Formats: sequence, structure tokens, C-alpha cells
Amino acid sequence: MESTLAAPDQSQSSESPIVKAVGLERIYGEGQAEVRALDGVDVEFEEGRFTSIMGPSGSGKSTLMHILAGLDKPTAGIVEIEGTDITHLDDGDLTQLRRDKLGFVFQFFNLLPVLTAEENILLPLSIARKKPDQEWVDQVIDRVGLSDRRDHRPSELSGGQQQRVAVARALVTKPAVLFADEPTGNLDSKASEDVLTLLRGAVDEVGQTVIMVTHEPDAAAHGDRLIALRDGKLVHDAPPVSADNVIELLKTLA
Amino acid sequence: MLSLTFKNLWARKWRSLMTAVAVIFGIALVAGTYVLTDTTNQAFDQIFNDSLAGTDVVVTAKSEVDQQDGSTPSFSAKVLKEVKGVDGVKQAAGSIFTQGAILDKDADSVGGGFAPQFIASTGPKIFDAVTYPEGHKPTGPHEATLDQAAADRAGLGIGDTIQLIGSGRAVPFKLVGITQLGGSSFGGTSIAAVQLPVAQALTDKRGQFDQISVAADSGVSPEELRDRIAKVVPKELRVETAQENADRNASEIKDSLQFLTIALLAFAAIALFVGSFVIFNVFSITVAQRTREFGMLRTLGASRRQILRTVLIEGLIIGLVGAILGIVVGFGLAAGLSAVLKAVGAELPANSLQLLPRTIIVSLIIGVGVTVVSSLIPAFRSTRVPPIAALAENLVVGGKNRVVIRTVIAVLLAALGLILIATALISGKDGGSGAAQIGGGAVCVLIAISIFAPKLVTPAARILGAPIEKLGGLTGRLARENAQRNPSRTAVTAAALMIGLALIAFVTIFASGLSSSVNKVIDDQLPGEITLQGTGGILPFPAGAIPVVQNVDGVEAASGVRFVSAKVDGKTAAISSVDPADIVKVYTVEWKEGSDSDLTGLKDGQLVIGDKLADDLGVGVGDSVTLTSQKGRKFKFKVSSIMKTDSISLAGEGIISQNSMARDFNQKSDAVGLVKLDPGADLDKTQTLIEDTLKAKDFPTVDVLNQGELKDQQKSQINGLLAMIYVLLALAVVVSLVGIVVTLILSIYERTRELGMLRAVGMSRRQVRRMVRYEAVITAVIGAVSGLIVGVVFAFLIGIPLSGDGFELSYPIGTLIVILILTALAGVIAAIYPARKAAKLDVLEAVSYE
Repeated sequence: MESTLAAPDQSQSSESPIVKAVGLERIYGEGQAEVRALDGVDVEFEEGRFTSIMGPSGSGKSTLMHILAGLDKPTAGIVEIEGTDITHLDDGDLTQLRRDKLGFVFQFFNLLPVLTAEENILLPLSIARKKPDQEWVDQVIDRVGLSDRRDHRPSELSGGQQQRVAVARALVTKPAVLFADEPTGNLDSKASEDVLTLLRGAVDEVGQTVIMVTHEPDAAAHGDRLIALRDGKLVHDAPPVSADNVIELLKTLA
Repeated sequence: MLSLTFKNLWARKWRSLMTAVAVIFGIALVAGTYVLTDTTNQAFDQIFNDSLAGTDVVVTAKSEVDQQDGSTPSFSAKVLKEVKGVDGVKQAAGSIFTQGAILDKDADSVGGGFAPQFIASTGPKIFDAVTYPEGHKPTGPHEATLDQAAADRAGLGIGDTIQLIGSGRAVPFKLVGITQLGGSSFGGTSIAAVQLPVAQALTDKRGQFDQISVAADSGVSPEELRDRIAKVVPKELRVETAQENADRNASEIKDSLQFLTIALLAFAAIALFVGSFVIFNVFSITVAQRTREFGMLRTLGASRRQILRTVLIEGLIIGLVGAILGIVVGFGLAAGLSAVLKAVGAELPANSLQLLPRTIIVSLIIGVGVTVVSSLIPAFRSTRVPPIAALAENLVVGGKNRVVIRTVIAVLLAALGLILIATALISGKDGGSGAAQIGGGAVCVLIAISIFAPKLVTPAARILGAPIEKLGGLTGRLARENAQRNPSRTAVTAAALMIGLALIAFVTIFASGLSSSVNKVIDDQLPGEITLQGTGGILPFPAGAIPVVQNVDGVEAASGVRFVSAKVDGKTAAISSVDPADIVKVYTVEWKEGSDSDLTGLKDGQLVIGDKLADDLGVGVGDSVTLTSQKGRKFKFKVSSIMKTDSISLAGEGIISQNSMARDFNQKSDAVGLVKLDPGADLDKTQTLIEDTLKAKDFPTVDVLNQGELKDQQKSQINGLLAMIYVLLALAVVVSLVGIVVTLILSIYERTRELGMLRAVGMSRRQVRRMVRYEAVITAVIGAVSGLIVGVVFAFLIGIPLSGDGFELSYPIGTLIVILILTALAGVIAAIYPARKAAKLDVLEAVSYE
């Protein structure tokens, strides 16, 4: 039933999907206390697209993202990223996967207070002991508009600026997929707009793949595609039309 | 990543520095101990080398049995003639260097405390190692010189009178010279020199030398000359080159200082052990607080190993900083320790403080090692933080609840520890290995207790916190809840304190037991009223003193006891001799086989043996044993009877007659004199009369003590030692208090939001401060009570096997209560800074703190 709802854009189906999930189930607890956070989800994500995942609390949207990003393991089903099954990787391979292919943006920025903006941005490279491509780094910092804030500590930056540092940090490794977990959840509307524009720009200009969990219709409206979950099942999959349209959709889900 | 570690450390520099304090004290004691002993050893090296300037070969007597005062036997002066006849000897001279007493004209000692005083002889110029900053060598039999430091100490100058006591009465001399040996200091040791025949007469060594110094003709090497001389002198003499002699003397001193080194290092180990608890706690809390950060680093691609490495490198750096600061502090501590030793009368010689590479290397290795090992468990815990922790808002990564494993480990460790202690006690291993085994066992038990401690914290906090709750109302209740909110945290903090207090309780009980045991010995064994001993109870006093006392009005009996160390069938033992006539009036022997008549009728060649020694040797009444003297001579003795010997026996492990003692062992001085007064004689008056008579008859170095004073003297010696142990244990306690401070600060940081909420609903700064203070007191009291309990139990356990030796424990309840109260107060002090910090929190900021 879900597969009929999942109607990916046909124009891109010729390419193999960059992230593919098949038959995902995630069950917490046992017996009476059993909770089916994901109840059979099949979904694919194509390269260079911006997908928003929505759903009411408890719908399983966060669980889905955690499993797609290799942060949690499904009870059943598999996730492939660029053709690799990540659900059975050990910790070492998962670490390597994160270094090579994944980028994260969090709700609470998660910057290291002891590092400057630029050092925070370069952190994934130094963790992986990779040499930064200076041209790309400059381009990323320029893109997020922090060229004059490189040497500032997070405590000297506004929330919006901090989140832009986090976005730059995620972009700097040129990940195959950028996962964003409620990236605007802690920002005012102006700063939210900035961050979403940044993500949009990354998708449009360098073909970045973005998967974002959000509960804000405005944010979801920036994506190419909106999928919605309810009770652990995929219930909607279509391009968003407008924020109002999304609000209507959410009402039907609730 | 490495630079990130540094930046993290720098950002938390105060916390890191406080953590470093946990090792600083321990390392300071390690480094300080090495600096102190190296400095002393170096000074002794220099003294021995300086004193043999101009000497090529040295002849001394071998010592077959080491004596308690460290003296070596003298030998016949006739040897000198043979030495002089050896080809290649340019000059040879005999000399005297014997322990004695040096007094000023008012009979006050010139020395400092326990440091020895020597009577030396002067010799030909070629062997003269000393210089004379003032005056000159003695030129007549009534002239003497004194070393510069002693003269300065006693305020003596040329022309003053000094009195020297060898083995007889005090003899006055005119001070004609002040001597100096190279640039070295002797510490508290004093040396007076007189002409050779005078020195021989003073020390009862007429026709004897302590040493012969030989200078070689040019072209003859010391080694060659040594070999030539060795051929002509008797076998019981030792012929060495000057260098060999200096090295041997220095290494003997080093061996005897080894005890001090080990004792001080043991306290350093205690401080470091306590410190490791603090480090463990700080790292555990820090890792818990950084869960989200670690999760985020993992999402950015950091591997487990990288996380482990950052935490361990932090430990390494903190350890390194702690060790370096510890070495610096230790350098100062060495100066302080030597001042303390000087103050208690055990001044050590010192030139310049010695900081050897070994000191630095050992300190660094131990400091870094302890810190890294203590941070291992938290570091591994940090690697278990999953990447998803970056997303969680309030995720507490509790390790799995390993109650069963923990309990099993705790029980196994406790059992291992108790077995170690028990076997050490039963096997009766003495010295280092036994103590190390007991220490190792104690460490196991203490770790076991602290593993199990989190279980005890909640009930303990409830019981001990009850009065505080009553006293403090809501703040008291919150303080108690806070203390038991994170039981393992409180447990480790309290356990650190527990260790120090357990040891304090243990030594307090033991010292008190020792005092009361000594009192019991005095009461049981000494029926007389007065005891005589050499000044301070160290050196024997001249034999002539006892007859003087016997003639004092009101004295019924006075009897001297002499001591020597001898080998009995190869086993070294303390052997005493008594004057049979009066001994049973002043000394009570508990007989196993025999009666008092065996003592009063003791004949030359007969031995009253102690029951333990008899058991060891497997001998009984009527058997023959061989006693070997210090000079290596062997004498047959017949066992006449067997006495019971307690651990503290005034008669040693065997008694022989005075004649045998003088003839075979050359001991003619009394170690103690036991005096019984006539019935009805006034104690005070007679005591004063004895003192005055001894002074008048030139025996000023005999102390006259009644039984009460004797007990006080013994007690004050024990308490002096106890005070030093307290000071050293205080280091460990301070470390654990620092642990309380750090833990409180970290907990407050964690509870920022909660504190803000409490303030927002109306809690005053005062109340916040009080709440933090109460929590500190509860933690401190838990540590103190558990420490006292552990200390009492340990003392009780170790007292069991000792009770057979006449050792009885006594529990100084009052002192223990005072210790408990002091610890609670220390908790209040530890809370000052954290309480202030908590009270200063801005309400709004605290509430909106993310």
C-alpha cells in the first residue's frame, strides 16, 4: 500500500537512488509495551534532491531518519546508501561511512565552544585526517556568509550564525547525503529562512542530496519532495505545493 | 583532534588543574623523598670522602653481628706495628672514633636531638682531614676541639669548657679549636676530638684502635698496598682502600636511610591511591557531561578509538602537569621535611638539594601512570556513547547495570585482600615484603568497599542526613537527596576520604594500644619505682652510675641491665646481662621453666633463654648453645632456664651474667638501671636526691625517671611518631577534600537549571549556600564514618595475632569522635567555594541555560 503512495518523480528514476530503504520496521519494547515506530517503510531518495520528512509526534519520522543515517538499527529491513547495505555494518565501517558519505545538521547546532567557527567547520576533516580543499572550504564559508566571522567562537555568534556554521560543517566533506534534524527548530523565522535558503542553494548549485526532518510547514515547503509518516507508515509522498498546502496535509494526518 | 584536546583542556583549565592536584601531592611526596634522601646520601658521600683525604688504605675490624647503635668493634693497637713494617707504607696511625656524649660546662648536650655524638682522636698531620677556622689542634691532655656546627649550636667558643663522656664519668676539657671538614655539614651530628691516648682512655679503649689509616709511598697504588697489608694483619680485620671504605660507609648509611625512603614512599602511594579516586570521579562526571559532544563527534566521523584517545590524552596531560608541579612542590617539600626532621631532633646532613634525573623520570612516570590508569574506565565508557547521543536532548548514557558483575568483583577483591592480609600476618613475614603484602591486601579491600559503596550511599545518606534534615528543613532534605541522587559519584568521593580516615583511625588505635601495652609492661615487669637511662634513652650510660645510686639514702636496690646483639646458634638476638644480686627485686620475670633462683644464682656461661628463641632454635634446659660476639668470637653457653618473652621484653631474648657480658662481649655500660626504694622512702625526695648525686658524681647523662615519667616518655615518643604519620596522612585527606570540592562544582554545573528554578521560586542565596554545604557535610561524614569503621575493624583484625605478644588494643573513643567532627568541619570548608559559586548563579541565565 505504501508503495503506491510513494510516487517518486519519474524524471529521475533512470538513476539508481542514493539512499534506499526496504521493508523498514522498528519495534521498541516487548509484549504489551510494544511500540511499532516504523511499520514497513519502503522509500528511495534520488541524488540532488531536497526531501522533507514530516509527521505528527510519534509518527516515526525521527526514527526513520535515524535509521537512514545509520544512527539506529532497524528491527527488520535494510538501508542502502550508494548501493551499500548499512544496516549490517560494524562500528568501524559505520564510522568510515560517516566520514565519507554523511553530513549532519542538528537542532541544537552542536558546535564545540572551544573552537572557532572555521575550526568547527573543518572538524570533520581533521577527525578523518583529510587535507582540506582550501578553495572548497572558502567557497563553503563564503556561501554561508561567515567570511568575516571565521575566527569567532560559537558564543560570539547568533543562533542563526551558529546553525550556518553547522551547515558549512556538514557541507565541507561533500557528503553523499546531508541529514538535517529539525534544523530550524531552535531559530527565529529570519534565521530559519537563511538556513533553509542555504540548504536549498546547496541542492540547486552543487547537487547536494538533503534529507530533513521538520515539523514546520514553511521549512518543508523549501523541499523538492515531502514525505509524511503516520503511525510508522508512509502516508504521503509528493512535491510540496506551498506552506498552506502542507498545513492542510498535516491537518489530515493529525 | 590533538589540538581539540588541548583546547578542551584549556577551556576547562580550572577543573583540570584541580584534577591535577590529585596527583600533585602524591608526586610531591615521591619527588620530595628522593630529593631528601639523595641530598643526604650525597652529603654522606662527601663527608666520608673528605674525612679520608690523605689516607690511602684503611684498616678496621669486621663486625660479625650488627649492633643497634651501629658501632664497630675496636682492635688491638699492636696491629699498627705490623702495618708500619709493610713495604710501601709511608705513614700509618691508629685512631678512635666512638659514640659518646658532648656537653657544655652546665652539662647540657651540644647536640641536636637524636643525632649521634662522637669522640674522635687527632693524629699526624698527613691524615688530618679537618681545617681549623679558629684555634688549633689539641696540644695537651686537657684540650679538645669541636666541629663548627656543634659549637655554633651550643654557642661555644675558644676557651670555653666542654665535658666529654665516653664509658665513664664526665671529663672537662678546654676548647682550643673549631674544626671544619671540607664544605660539608654533618647535620645534627657532633664531633669532639682529643689526643689519641686521651680518646682511648675516655672510651675505655686503652691499647685499642677503631681504625688505622695508612698513607702509601709514592709509586705504590692503594690497591697494591691494601693487598700487602691484608697479608700481615689478623683475619678479623678488614683492609680497604680509602675509596672502598668511603663507599662502604656511605652505602651502609644509604641502607639505613632506605627505611625512611620506603616509609615516605608508602605515604606517597596512599596519597596517590586517594588521588586516583578523585581523578576517576572527575573523569567519570566529565565524560557523562560531554555525552552529547562525544555523540556529535561520532556523527562527524570520529571513531571510538579517537574518542578514547582524546580522553586518555587529557588524562596524560593532566598527569604530566600534575607530575611537573609535583616535582616543583616536592623540591620545596624536601626542604620542609628536612626542617621537620631537624625540629624533631633527627637532622640530616645536607649540602645542596639534589634533583637527580631518576627523581624526575620516576615522578613523571608515576604521575602520568596514575592519572591515565584512573581515567581508563571513564575513557572506555566514553567510547560507548553512540552517535545518536548528539540528537537526544537529555540523554544519560548509563552503562548497563552490571550489579551482578560489580558485586562479584567486589566480593572477589575483598576475599583476595583478606587472604593477602591473613597470610602475611600468619606467616609472620617481617619488614618490607610483609608490609607490602598487607598494604596490597588493604588496597584490594578498600577498592572492594568502594565498588560496593554506591549501594550503601542511599541508606547512609538517609541515616547520617537525618539530623541535617531536621536541622536544615527543606534545604537539608534537598541536600540529602542531592547526595544520594548519584550514588556512585558520592560513593567514590566519600571512599577517597574513607581511605585517609581509615588509616588515621587505624594508626590512632594502634598507637593508643602501643602506649597501653607499654604501660602494662612497665607495670608488670618493673616492681621498682625508678628507672635510669642514658639521656633520651638512646646511649647506654657508664657502669659507675649504678653503684652511686645504690648508695643513695632511701634506695633499697639498684640494678643495671646491659645489652648486646649477638648470634645465638646463628640467629641474631638481643642479649642482656644483669647483676644477679638485686635483679629480682627490680625486675619481674615470668618463667616458663625455672624460677627466680635461676636468676639470682646465674653463673658465668649460663644463659636464661626466652621461650620464643628457645622454640626457634629447638633447645631446652640443659642444652648448649653457641653465642657469637660482634668480633666473631664464639662462646658456649648452657641454657639454665626459660623465661617468657613478650614483644616488649626489657631483658631481650636471653640473659647472661655481667661477667660473661664484660669478658666475652666487651659491654660494660648499662642500657637501663632499675631502682627500688626502701619501703616508706619518699618518692619525690629520693628521686631528686638520686639526680643530684649523679650530677655531683659527674654522671650528668643519666636520666632519672619515675614510672609515671617513664610512661609519659614512652607515650610522647609514640605520639611524636603518630604526629608525623598524621601529617603525612593529612596529604591524602587534603586530596580527598579537593575531590569533594571538584565533585560539588561539577554537580552544581550540572544542576544549573535546577538551581535557577529553585531561586526562581524563592530560594535565597543563603539557602542555596546552605544546601551545598549540607551536601558536602553529608558526603564528608559518610566518608568519615565508613573510614573510622574500616579503621577500627582493621585494627581489631591485625590486633588478634599480636595479642599473643602482649599487645593489647585500646580504642580512644574521644579522639575518634574528635576526628569525626573535624572531618565534618573539613566538609564545610570544602563547600565554601562551590557554595559561593552556586549562590552566584544568575536566576534568568540559569533557567534559560541550554
